[in-house]
Amino acid sequence: MTTAAPVRTRRSPGTARQVLRLTRTEFTLFVRYKTAWMFLALPLFFAFIALQQPDDEIVAGFGMGEMTMISVMGITSLMLGMGHASNVFTSRREALVLKRFRVSGVSQPVIFGGIIGVVTVFSLLAVLLMALVILVPLGGSPPRDPLMALASVLLGSVVFTLMGLALTPLARTSESAQLVGMVPMMILFFASGGVFPLEFLPEDVRQVVGLIPSVPPAELMQAAYTGYDVFGGATGAEEKSYLGLWAAALPSIAIMLAWIALLALAVRRFFVWDPRKP
Amino acid sequence: MTTTARTAAEATGSGPTGEPAVAVRDLHQRYGDFEAVKGVSFEIHPGELFALLGTNGAGKTTTIETLEGFRRPSSGTVRVFGRDPHGQPSGVRERTNAVLQGSALMEDLSVRESLDLAYDLAADPRPTGEVLELVGLADKAKVLVRQLSGGQKRRLDLALALLTRPEVLYLDEPTTGMDAEGRIDTWRIIQGLKDEGTAVLLTTHYLEEAERLADRLAIMHRGEVGVEGTLEAVLSGWGDRVGFALAEDVRTADLPGLPGAELSVESRGDTLWVTYTVTGGDTELRAQHTVTALLEWASAHGTALRRLQVRGASLEDVFLQVADGAADLVGD
Repeated sequence: MTTAAPVRTRRSPGTARQVLRLTRTEFTLFVRYKTAWMFLALPLFFAFIALQQPDDEIVAGFGMGEMTMISVMGITSLMLGMGHASNVFTSRREALVLKRFRVSGVSQPVIFGGIIGVVTVFSLLAVLLMALVILVPLGGSPPRDPLMALASVLLGSVVFTLMGLALTPLARTSESAQLVGMVPMMILFFASGGVFPLEFLPEDVRQVVGLIPSVPPAELMQAAYTGYDVFGGATGAEEKSYLGLWAAALPSIAIMLAWIALLALAVRRFFVWDPRKP
Repeated sequence: MTTTARTAAEATGSGPTGEPAVAVRDLHQRYGDFEAVKGVSFEIHPGELFALLGTNGAGKTTTIETLEGFRRPSSGTVRVFGRDPHGQPSGVRERTNAVLQGSALMEDLSVRESLDLAYDLAADPRPTGEVLELVGLADKAKVLVRQLSGGQKRRLDLALALLTRPEVLYLDEPTTGMDAEGRIDTWRIIQGLKDEGTAVLLTTHYLEEAERLADRLAIMHRGEVGVEGTLEAVLSGWGDRVGFALAEDVRTADLPGLPGAELSVESRGDTLWVTYTVTGGDTELRAQHTVTALLEWASAHGTALRRLQVRGASLEDVFLQVADGAADLVGD
């Protein structure tokens, strides 16, 4: 028996670097997964449908169709996060891939960070594509506040990816994960305020619906694009200064941060790594 | 960037007192009314391979999963490098790795991409080219994992585990699905890891694998360890067998009683087969003493010991005995 071994110094690459590296592989895999392209096509399809709505002006320079499309841009990560993330993580759990990551010394934040990273990247690409291919040729301008648009995509990606991950314990196969995710995904999509304007709801109901995680990113994107305080409804919204718009956006940002905290706890508590049941 | 510097003693997992890299004490795992593991204890030191054998559902994988940090013990303790591995805390997870019971690969990556990813995520990896050569997959580097055979996937599983230079390695049936050449290659790699000071926990259904590699082993059945010890001790505890076909002119009642030997007679076709199982005493010479006594008896009675055989117990003998629930017949 050998009891001597050379002294080793182990240099961990660091969590941020590991997340970026895993995101790179997630990107490669996303490109190779046919199902992933379907989830990417969904928001583009809905955005195209949205543009078919009547062109009645809601706020200066933006008609109903454009406002609906902009809200779809804000929840692009809904389809990718709940669809793609739940799909691949369910199949990877069943194939022991997640477990192997864990036994190889890869931490949970890195594993989750990689999938959040790729959802963010493809959500940003889809939003850029929608803005360039559809909005600009129609005379739409770039967002008044690009930073707020970015915040909408980033926060939305985290919220919806965590939500997709939280659903995985309910599914045993990637197919059942798609089914499990589809119902809440559609509810969140139609309740986002983009398809059915929320200002027509009674005020109490509207305030409750405003807590649904798909409403804040959609409204953030609309506000970012128009420069108007559309939080609580686009009809009669007022144009705001840069800081004034951010002040108006704070409650929506707080709601998203609260969802992130809640979902992160749920994933930490209920996420299942092992397909083997005792 | 996080740096974990370790002393020589920490590097080998053994301090001045020779502490084990892995220590399991009276481990119990219960799921409701079902107890999957019932009081298992063992230690694994650096450079040592401990084989955990047993029937399907014996509790081997549950024990490994507890060591891997996926399950908290219902009672008892497990320690890896002196620490509780539950949740894979930093300081433990970088120093351990595993080959899981099934192939755990991303089918849409190539072999090279799989290893490159593991390399970039690891704290102190081996070069991927070295690992590819080691497991014999160098010519498959560009092939997608989904196009590999079952045996090649197991080689890649092993490669991914080797890549992080684990100081403790859990191998859960690592050669299942491999052809004979793959198994022999894998045994050579595992032996090399032992020589480097890696503490290895192996489960396998190939008893020959355990016989070749294990420094110590335990045989589990229904959550309990039936037999545990070095291979030599386990086999010597089960005894040596001296057998022969009973001549037609000898009655079984005429067979001699021999000290330290248990006599059994069974029918094999048209003949009666006599077996003396010799336990205890001088393990080096006890078979010879029994054979000498039998030859003297045969000479004195003018009979012959036809098809005389002498053999030690095989691991399979012990395994089957434990699986039959008769482990208490077998000493350590």
